[in-house]
Amino acid sequence: MYTLWKRTVPPASLSTFDAPDREKCAARRAHTNTPLQALTLLNDPTFVEAARALAQRALVEGGRDEKSRLAHAFRLATARKPSGKEMGVLRALLKGRRNWFRKNQAAAMTFLSVGESPRDARLDAAELAAWTTVASVILNLDETITKQ
Amino acid sequence: MNPLDLHLTRRQLFGLSARGIGIAALASLVGDDLAAAAAGRAQARDAQTGALAGLPHFAPKATRVIFLHQSGGPSQLETFDYKPLLAKYQGTQIPDSVRMGQRVAQTMGQSSLPVARSLFGFSRHGRSGTWVGDLLPHTAKIVDDLTVIKTMHTDAINHDPAITFIQTGFQQPGRPSMGAWFSYGLGSENQNLPAFVVLLSQAHAINADQPLFSRLWGSGFLPSAFQGVRFRGGSSPVLFLDDPPGISKVTRRVMLDAVKALNAMTAEAYGDPEIETRIAQYEMAYRMQTSVPELMDLSKEPESIFEMYGPESRKPGTYAANCLLARRLAERNVRFIQLYHRGWDQHQDLPRDLALQCRGTDQPTAALVTDLKQRGLLDDTLVVWGGEFGRTVFSQGKLTDVNYGRDHHPRNFCMWVAGGGTKRGAVIGETDDFSYNVVSDPVSVHDLQATILHLLGIDHTKLTYRFQGRDFRLTDVHGDVVKTILA
Repeated sequence: MYTLWKRTVPPASLSTFDAPDREKCAARRAHTNTPLQALTLLNDPTFVEAARALAQRALVEGGRDEKSRLAHAFRLATARKPSGKEMGVLRALLKGRRNWFRKNQAAAMTFLSVGESPRDARLDAAELAAWTTVASVILNLDETITKQ
Repeated sequence: MNPLDLHLTRRQLFGLSARGIGIAALASLVGDDLAAAAAGRAQARDAQTGALAGLPHFAPKATRVIFLHQSGGPSQLETFDYKPLLAKYQGTQIPDSVRMGQRVAQTMGQSSLPVARSLFGFSRHGRSGTWVGDLLPHTAKIVDDLTVIKTMHTDAINHDPAITFIQTGFQQPGRPSMGAWFSYGLGSENQNLPAFVVLLSQAHAINADQPLFSRLWGSGFLPSAFQGVRFRGGSSPVLFLDDPPGISKVTRRVMLDAVKALNAMTAEAYGDPEIETRIAQYEMAYRMQTSVPELMDLSKEPESIFEMYGPESRKPGTYAANCLLARRLAERNVRFIQLYHRGWDQHQDLPRDLALQCRGTDQPTAALVTDLKQRGLLDDTLVVWGGEFGRTVFSQGKLTDVNYGRDHHPRNFCMWVAGGGTKRGAVIGETDDFSYNVVSDPVSVHDLQATILHLLGIDHTKLTYRFQGRDFRLTDVHGDVVKTILA
């Protein structure tokens, strides 16, 4: 992945995650935990696109069954399998968004057009849009964001 | 013992404690909130504002602070500390009886230390007759609303420790900033915006190289929910406020509900309050999607307001635009509004660069005070103006009739406060004829901090936080409320 980094001006999304501005040495990077980070991970097109890519991987690589697909996506982000309770939250979200995007096909198409890469056209748009919301949730978990 | 156990991560530690192991031991290692969270009990807080139980300690005069930090160390000699006798000493070596062998920052190897008078005039203003340098014509018009402190002094002689000291009460990094303490103690009057907002603007001076670090508005050992939130300088102060296309409000809400539910399970498993902060920040982000566009919508500001704050007020990210934004944040009851303006470090070419700095900031600063006053907000908003130290009376580099520089000077410098229960049209303290030593009424950095806390209804000796086995406070073990500042 490439991005433009001006000498003393880090890319905005990286600044939000405490990238030093390189005007002076930074022996240790500051750690912040702000609402601006939430907005970036939820809405920055880069991360919306990443969520779609994760959803596509779940659907293509995750086996035939919904649970194994969810487990695959969750494990790619957190390096562990989801618990039964966690699986319940993910499945409820998926079910609700699947129903909504089926009735709102145009919204699904615009949502899937975010980002540089084209969507995987083999996959049903409403289905992929619903999975992308689930993938976005997984990518926004504290456990995903925080190195332990 | 498994050697790996020596490398417990933060989460593993919390995981152990959540299973009931060693809460008491944990409490001695980490702060109250951390231990409380690990033990599954939260500190008692006001349900609406989130203020700690028992706070404020007494009726506050001010409910919010706007801190206009002038980073780099503005010269007191050209702004508020008028020294007419210096004309007589111009170009002569500073007397040893004045300097008393005190350390200097950058002029260590300089063979002579010639006295440099202010190249700019001074005159008296207002009913108070306060002396103000001619570089600050707009500030001069509001002196009757200010208390000018001529005898601020600090322990630090270089920028980083000095600015860290004035923001956190300690020269080394790691303590919570003033805004974090207020946010921690008093909570927020506006649940839709952060309690502590930080706005940065770039120098007007040509020579300007002092950086600012995010730890200056950090929360130190306090939970990170209390750290300052820095708004960006450009036309979008907060990025990515809009949901992606195709995401309805309901979709966004159910996604956030899922994030919250899953994070809550992790929090339950590990008891790490950082996860609670994460949950709170996602909810704040959701509310900011509505509150920030409303905050930034300047379309209803009349032309007269932009004229008042000056031409740069229409240019996002400038000091003038930040002053106007500070007023809008104050109107929305944001607790601590921290501005930083860079560029006050005039080691050389002071006449040129200090004039540029003053021209860029004088009008908007005065406009902010006037604007708050005309809206009735100055009564309960404390405005603080000043840098981290002052500058030497002797010239750094070659002194000529038209040019000179000044080195760092921690022994005395000027700040001013306005509103929020402070005196209107007062001057505190006196310095010697060289503006080199305090003669009467010294005000230390901790004294100023104690006074700011007092104005917000806090006894500075009682707002403490237990960390690494002792109770910490903003003023460390120092500080006296400066009674002469109080109205």
